[in-house]
Amino acid sequence: MKGLIDKLAHPGLVRVAGIAIGLVFVVAGLAKIGDTAAFTAQLHNFRLTPIALENLAGMILPWVELVAGTALILGARSRAAAWICAALMFLFTIAIGQAAARGLDFECGCFGKGDASTVGLQKLVENIGLTAVALVATLRRR
Amino acid sequence: MNGNSLIRDIALLVGIGVVLGVGYNAIGLRGGNDWGIAWKGVPLIETLGDEVKPVETDELPPGNMSDDPLAPVTPPRGIPVIEDFGRPVEIGLRAIKQLYDADAALFIDAREDWEYAAGHIPGAINLPYEQAITDPARLEAIDQRDKPIVTYCGGGSCEISISVAWELLGVGKAPVAVYMGGFPEWEKAGYPVDKKADGS
Repeated sequence: MKGLIDKLAHPGLVRVAGIAIGLVFVVAGLAKIGDTAAFTAQLHNFRLTPIALENLAGMILPWVELVAGTALILGARSRAAAWICAALMFLFTIAIGQAAARGLDFECGCFGKGDASTVGLQKLVENIGLTAVALVATLRRR
Repeated sequence: MNGNSLIRDIALLVGIGVVLGVGYNAIGLRGGNDWGIAWKGVPLIETLGDEVKPVETDELPPGNMSDDPLAPVTPPRGIPVIEDFGRPVEIGLRAIKQLYDADAALFIDAREDWEYAAGHIPGAINLPYEQAITDPARLEAIDQRDKPIVTYCGGGSCEISISVAWELLGVGKAPVAVYMGGFPEWEKAGYPVDKKADGS
């Protein structure tokens, strides 16, 4: 296991993973910022946030994604940014997993209103893959 | 970088995101801007269930009896009135059936076309959510004929009927009600079902 982590911690690979996950977060953040109301409505579908806090989460979450993604691409405070992305990806994966397990059928809103893909196994696998990429990005040497 | 500086950096980046998110929304809420949302969330739908007020006045005759062809049609006495709350209104099976019997609502089936073809409420228009968000012209072209719109889908935890209802409100259609019981509840109740696929 340690050998695998050492291989994944190759600076070039970590940088590529950081840029890749950073781009995903910037695109996702901008898409959601473009229509906060629609994103908040989609957030409601997951039924994970108290209704009173849904709007607050809907207006803040996309900006956190944008800031973390931009920091990763620019290489500024990239280890912290990578941990934020990994934590968010973990949360998104749990959210999609529980929604799919409960049989909820709705558009995930992962990339804003224009993303009509529904929660389900495919989205779950995509998210697990992106979480892995984000975790690789956290392996930046101190 | 030690653990403390990592936590400090995480807090810094999250803090910047919070400030930008709150600031952007505050600007959006100011006059002339239209992207801000309310600070506190409210339920997406107004839940009325079967507690929908019927028309009780005798002053207005059923149907549009005035000389003005553009005057709104008054539903017959006893038919549920869907008020315009500015957001979708959830109504129950009894109210839905009353609206259906009186032909006093336009039904929109938000499920996929193959689900619609397998069975739907007679007279319902098929408008899958994906079409609703990719083809706003289709939303605008819906002629509700002065009737409230009722969206429904597969019942249970199906949320796309609410999403389609919001899209309809977004293009100025109102009032819009949501029948959360959806087609399964309607079919289980033994009410009429249409299996023609040409209602869209």
